[in-house]
Amino acid sequence: METIVKKRIKQVKKGDQNAFAEIVDLYKDKIYQLCYRMLGNAHEAEDIAQEAFIRAYVNIHTYDMNKKFSTWLYRIATNLSIDRIRKKKPDYYLDAEVSGTDGLNMYSQVAADVTLPEEELETLELQETIQKEILKLPDKYRTVIVLKYIDELSLIEISEILNIPVGTVKTRIHRGREALRKQLRHL
Amino acid sequence: MSCSSEYVQLLHKYLDLELTSSEEKMVKDHLHTCESCYQHFHELEKAVALVKSTSHIEAPLNFTEAVMNNLPREKRTVSWNR
Repeated sequence: METIVKKRIKQVKKGDQNAFAEIVDLYKDKIYQLCYRMLGNAHEAEDIAQEAFIRAYVNIHTYDMNKKFSTWLYRIATNLSIDRIRKKKPDYYLDAEVSGTDGLNMYSQVAADVTLPEEELETLELQETIQKEILKLPDKYRTVIVLKYIDELSLIEISEILNIPVGTVKTRIHRGREALRKQLRHL
Repeated sequence: MSCSSEYVQLLHKYLDLELTSSEEKMVKDHLHTCESCYQHFHELEKAVALVKSTSHIEAPLNFTEAVMNNLPREKRTVSWNR
């Protein structure tokens, strides 16, 4: 996949904007997922994920072709997500459920649009509960947990994305996992 | 909480596949005999499984088009038509 991506990037660098569409298609689910898990809101996740691709495009000349493209792209998306989190009020999520987003949470959207069988509904509710618990993690733990377990990245990749030592990644994963253990054990 | 902190570290290393085979054996043996570490490990595994179970989200429809339509125009050489 990296070979195709690098070919397309060369085309983008030469000014072929359409080649970038293929790159977006390849990575959109991963990047959207990352943003959604970090932010917990479909609207914001779409906004930030789009912004990540636009920044990647605009700054494509700063991308080092010798490195993995996905690492670079993940770094952009992660930083944008963290910036967005830090701009929020700490009690944002509590507010959002009552007033702000008007049901723009992907699970409630799905649940409202179609009648789901009991089982599927339960799965969605469980997923929503897990997402809420992920959102309770401080952002430095949330980031490593999302990258490791939801995007299945290696510790080395995570350390490159976040530009922190592998040892720090490990410590944060341990602490994040401990926190989630306590939060999720009653489920 | 007798053997907590040292073993908890080992449990995390075990989850990250970072133990040597002798350490791994020691942890496994310990889990067979220590109720509280067994419980702790079980809860960690459960948390990981639950978090992993949330990992299937797709980008919204027309995501790529939306990105392409928002790219700076001056760099366009070929029009986006799909």
